[in-house]
Amino acid sequence: MLTCREMSELGSDIIDGQLGLRTRLAVFMHMHKCSRCSLYIEQLKVTSEVLQQTSLNGQSVDPQAILEKLNKPRE
Amino acid sequence: MDEEQGLLKRLREGDTSAFEAIIKQHHAFLVAMAVPLVGPQLADDVAQETWLKAMAAINGFEGRSKLRTWLARIAINEAHALTRKGKREVSLDSWGSDPGSPIASRFNEQGAWDVLPAQWHHDTPEELLSQEELQECIRKHLHKLPDDQQSVVIMRELAGLDYAEIAQALGLLEGNIRVLLHRGRQRMHAMLNHFEEVGTC
Repeated sequence: MLTCREMSELGSDIIDGQLGLRTRLAVFMHMHKCSRCSLYIEQLKVTSEVLQQTSLNGQSVDPQAILEKLNKPRE
Repeated sequence: MDEEQGLLKRLREGDTSAFEAIIKQHHAFLVAMAVPLVGPQLADDVAQETWLKAMAAINGFEGRSKLRTWLARIAINEAHALTRKGKREVSLDSWGSDPGSPIASRFNEQGAWDVLPAQWHHDTPEELLSQEELQECIRKHLHKLPDDQQSVVIMRELAGLDYAEIAQALGLLEGNIRVLLHRGRQRMHAMLNHFEEVGTC
């Protein structure tokens, strides 16, 4: 039987579908009974999706300056 | 993705303002991704080279991956081209070790939850990201991650590269990449959790 601590350690493998059949079954059994772990794993998945949609701050980026450099002949 | 398709369409029609918008969206990401590969001094060069290659090859981009993934692959190649010239300035020797779970203290001795996960007010990515302040907080905490976790999170989540590509680019094993990604996600989860509980960064 997996503990909640072990479930939290498996979190990314669970959301990325990286587990073998035996562990997957143990995870399924645990999740079925444990709403806390279900919530944590669900939130970890949302965290991953949030990161996938995150852009780094481009406010200080000057695209025109970059384009100008691109158009300059190489030395 | 629709916005991206629109930009690409305009770009193919020769609209340079579309290219400017794409640069604005992704330049900081390319620099951040290149830093561990070539060092902070040359990261900007890698990003510049990436734009040069991207501009020349954009008609061949078929949209089978995200634009960001395509750009990331070009940047990794450019970084390798630079390091082959012996210009690598960074050592990643200390990378990849597991600092342990950031939430270890939330479990009791039997391994059960002691401090329960909190319910969030917003529970979809769209709802969460609709808060400007949260987006700023995510960026801030992303930069506060240990360098190795930060790189793996950027390469996997933002860039959408697969584990093997990331492992090869960083010279680590796929197993290391998985652990670093998990620790990085756990820390970013803790940040989101704090924001949802307290309402500030």
